[in-house]
Amino acid sequence: MKLDSKIPEGPLAEKWDKHKFDLKLVNPANKRKYSVIVVGTGLAGASAASSLAELGYNVKNICIQDSPRRAHSIAAQGGINAAKNYPNDGDSIWRLFYDTIKGGDYRSREANVYRLAQVSNNIIDQGVAQGIPFAREYGGLLDNRSFGGAQVSRTFYARGQTGQQLLLGAYSSLMRQVAKKQVELITRSEMLDLILVDGKARGITTRNLITGEIETHMADAVAICTGGYGNAYFLSTNAKNSNATAAWRCYKRGALFANPCFTQIHPTCIPFSGEYQSKLTLMSESLRNDGRVWVPKKQGDNRAPNDIPEDERDYYLEERYPSFGNLVPRDVASRNAKDVVDDGRGVGPSNVAVYLDFADSINRLGENVIREKYGNLFDMYERIIDENPYKTPMMIYPAVHYTMGGLWVDYNLMSNVPGLFVLGEANFSDHGANRLGASALMQGLADGYFVIPYTIGDYLASNSFDKIESSHEACQESIALVNDKMDKLLAIKGEKTSTEFHRELGKLMWEYVGMARDEAGLKKAIKEIPKLREEFWQNVTVSSDKDLMNKDLEFAGRIADFLEIGELMARDALDRNESCGGHFRLESQTDEGEAKRKDDEYAYVSAWEYKGDDKKPALHKEELTFENVELTQRSYK
Amino acid sequence: MPALPTSLWSSVARKALMALTGLALIGFLIVHLLGNLILLSGNADAFNLYSNIYASMGSFLYVIEAGLVAFFLIHIVSGITVALGKMKARPVSYKKVANAGGPSRKTVSSVTMIYTGVLLLVFLVFHVVSLKYGAHYDTTIGGEKMRDLYKLVVENFQQPYIVAGYVIIMTLLGFHLRHGFWSAFQSLGALQPRFSNMIYIIGVFIAIILAIGFLFVPIWIFLNS
Amino acid sequence: MADMTLTLKIWRQKDRKSPGKFVSYTVENVSEHMSFLEMMDVLNEQLIKKGEDVVEFDNDCREGICGMCSLVINGRPHGQEHGTATCQLHMRKFNDGDIIVIEPWRAAAFPVLKDLTVDRTAFDRIIEAGGYTSINAGGAADSSAILVPKSDAEEAMDAASCIGCGACVAACPNASASLFTAAKISQFALLPQGQTERKRRAANMVAQMDAEGFGDCSNHAECEAVCPKEISITHIARMKREYFKAMVFDE
Repeated sequence: MKLDSKIPEGPLAEKWDKHKFDLKLVNPANKRKYSVIVVGTGLAGASAASSLAELGYNVKNICIQDSPRRAHSIAAQGGINAAKNYPNDGDSIWRLFYDTIKGGDYRSREANVYRLAQVSNNIIDQGVAQGIPFAREYGGLLDNRSFGGAQVSRTFYARGQTGQQLLLGAYSSLMRQVAKKQVELITRSEMLDLILVDGKARGITTRNLITGEIETHMADAVAICTGGYGNAYFLSTNAKNSNATAAWRCYKRGALFANPCFTQIHPTCIPFSGEYQSKLTLMSESLRNDGRVWVPKKQGDNRAPNDIPEDERDYYLEERYPSFGNLVPRDVASRNAKDVVDDGRGVGPSNVAVYLDFADSINRLGENVIREKYGNLFDMYERIIDENPYKTPMMIYPAVHYTMGGLWVDYNLMSNVPGLFVLGEANFSDHGANRLGASALMQGLADGYFVIPYTIGDYLASNSFDKIESSHEACQESIALVNDKMDKLLAIKGEKTSTEFHRELGKLMWEYVGMARDEAGLKKAIKEIPKLREEFWQNVTVSSDKDLMNKDLEFAGRIADFLEIGELMARDALDRNESCGGHFRLESQTDEGEAKRKDDEYAYVSAWEYKGDDKKPALHKEELTFENVELTQRSYK
Repeated sequence: MPALPTSLWSSVARKALMALTGLALIGFLIVHLLGNLILLSGNADAFNLYSNIYASMGSFLYVIEAGLVAFFLIHIVSGITVALGKMKARPVSYKKVANAGGPSRKTVSSVTMIYTGVLLLVFLVFHVVSLKYGAHYDTTIGGEKMRDLYKLVVENFQQPYIVAGYVIIMTLLGFHLRHGFWSAFQSLGALQPRFSNMIYIIGVFIAIILAIGFLFVPIWIFLNS
Repeated sequence: MADMTLTLKIWRQKDRKSPGKFVSYTVENVSEHMSFLEMMDVLNEQLIKKGEDVVEFDNDCREGICGMCSLVINGRPHGQEHGTATCQLHMRKFNDGDIIVIEPWRAAAFPVLKDLTVDRTAFDRIIEAGGYTSINAGGAADSSAILVPKSDAEEAMDAASCIGCGACVAACPNASASLFTAAKISQFALLPQGQTERKRRAANMVAQMDAEGFGDCSNHAECEAVCPKEISITHIARMKREYFKAMVFDE
């Protein structure tokens, strides 16, 4: 299979403009003749659905929650990047592009990333026009703060609730189109299959989560905006319902899955507390602006943090990376936390945590300033841990947070399956091997507001579409497949709950496909995960009834998919015998223990093709070429 | 341009009507209480002269009375609508209800507005029937013949059960006003955070003053005659 | 603290049309570090193993921002902690041997779908009626063209932090949606971007709120007291002023 990224010719800065001109247009009067299904209502989904509807397309927008506003984008805290250069500190589109490509450890496409940087400014304009109450200065202008992986302040924010505000902005635009009947909103509905007709994506099969009814929805194109697969680790900062089923169903229908091993472990999460734990809670990375990360110098030092004198503390990030200090990119911060914990210097009840200390900032700026900036985060911490972070340093530890990998897409955000578009975290496109802070919101909205409205028109205008009824054999085949899987799950009536399997999968993933990976561990994972999957299909027990609201059945189906994705992640990690970004192979490190890329061998996108349940997937490679940036060893020293 | 879909009977406007009429009725109560204070002097003539001012207004009195009736009606009808709406909006009630505390203004007064209101209405009918349309005694002051309302009032307030009834009802009035006064300002959108507490406290004072004022008069008459 | 044993009295209801009833469950080995929903997970794991139906309750982010979780716990929406959604309520606030009554949001406009799960799409329809600025993607002016005084932006943000959970309705003795509706109206009324449509927005959103069958606001302020984001009823006052302007003046 030849992977055509469709990157336009020409100088980097002109590619997108030229491409927009070259794309075919759908005449305004004809747009209403086309229909598009958008799956997911997060930043990517809601912005895509509303923007396409604004253009005049008929949109069906589907989500699993009771309202589009619940999508997990809402939980993003820290902010959104844009190259506005309001603080006059030397930012530019080029610098945002450069930081993002470097932060991604040179495993993303130059053209995609440059386009992302270009439209970043439009997103802020759009958000402000929607009435998003971004933080302001006294003069009334927008305020900025700094974030990991950058030496300029380019992050726009709305307290610690930036994702919420941006999502509510997109949601408001979406609801405006719902009111205009331009979008048909279908909530509490889960996509369980992709319907292909003549090789093109023409519809989806869904389960109505209230009545259990299996339904098909047909359209001329399908956009998957369903987020990442971080919940394969069981414990992650993702929402309980975040899942990869929609994307995985597309994979099983022929869409390629790219870079599945690129997962981001976020450095500032509230540490794990017990077996019963259902999820981990993220504390915005923006905390690293004013918090100092440290552990005791001595191993096994069990003194209370405030009893440990200054000279017995190891501010290891400031020590090792003097120029970026506490603001190194996420992968670097996470790995260093693991290092010191593995060294026996972890803190907290479990000894698997490091301190994030605000004492200096509180002394310098006063408690009120800190409260104004991070009050809600501090409150959240106190609610969960029952300690006052204004007085005692916070305890943090890395947790799975984001997946850079996803369905493979070309420059138009279309997968190798014609008519199947993939946006936001669900695609692999812009973050390479590591996403910088405050860039996820940027990418989701860029895809939805400013990329797909152009590129989908080209696809629609270039193809003709027969009307497909739900009686079509492709629909019937899909419905049968979906029903069959659910019947199988319900018929097993085994001994273990799906959560128990999920937890076991999570442990395997964290142990062998976690922050540091090696050949032996990955091979073990590739052996163990299928075993666990087999046991699942023989011994899971699922709460009855598929004709009722049944969250257990929903979860079981998703966990069945995670049990397959986990294996693919391990396979991909095994194939990539280099360290880059969030993917750290113990075999490939510099003398100082930093990630060592092997550009000669691995400067490619791994795109995996499904070959059958019992067959090994096939690996296709999209070579990455860099014409505008020089590939250097990342250094944040 | 089509008019905006606002309505005098929308949830917001209805409550504003209730608030406006409520505040007007509080004004009426204050005037009424000032008049009642004359009773404390024990001077029958003074009170009768005062009440004769209204009696001699002629048809203008009807205008005032009609206005009062209208205020009461709007206040009552909107209040009943709110109460019925509440039952419709929550057909299944909770097994367990606890007050949330903190900034909540939910009190015994606030949740019993409809009950205190209905009892006040029943009282109002009794009050009007027993006094305005009660026994008609005559008296002559300074050569002018007028109604001896003082005598009727004193007669009434010599009966313990009437006095007891007044005391109870006026206490309920206090409860009604305690939430009602503050609530009226909030319903009119007139409250800024910095005034909110002040208005709430003023409301409590007004409630206490009016309730005690009204119930003190019958007790005083009962004890002094 | 040792692990707790709790008795839960939970509202069970098969679907929208079936009648419901309270059923008692005992949950053992509840750690004080668990969140309330994790304790519910433990219960559901037990039920699955016994072959019984799980207790359905909406939840998602479990960090107090998505607004999916609900639950009236011992008579208080989201439980007894102020400024906290159910998902962030921890079991250390309870004692061994406690009996906990767990009910769904109760309102005609929020019909029960199953057990503790209710249908809150009425909120979406209120937003649909005007909770937006009418601008399309691509048409926005440069973001620095609009100046917003910091205090207005902050107050708008207070209102905008609403997570749409519906606790305000659940707590209101009248099942009124005033705080939810007001938060959105107020956010836009405070910002320059919201000015063009402010009267239309207030009129339409209030009309939709009434049409959904929510009760009237009687100013009990229970909504503010249970709101996980502690949104003030000051915003309700602002909504009223906005509505009066819409009554009096043309657009």
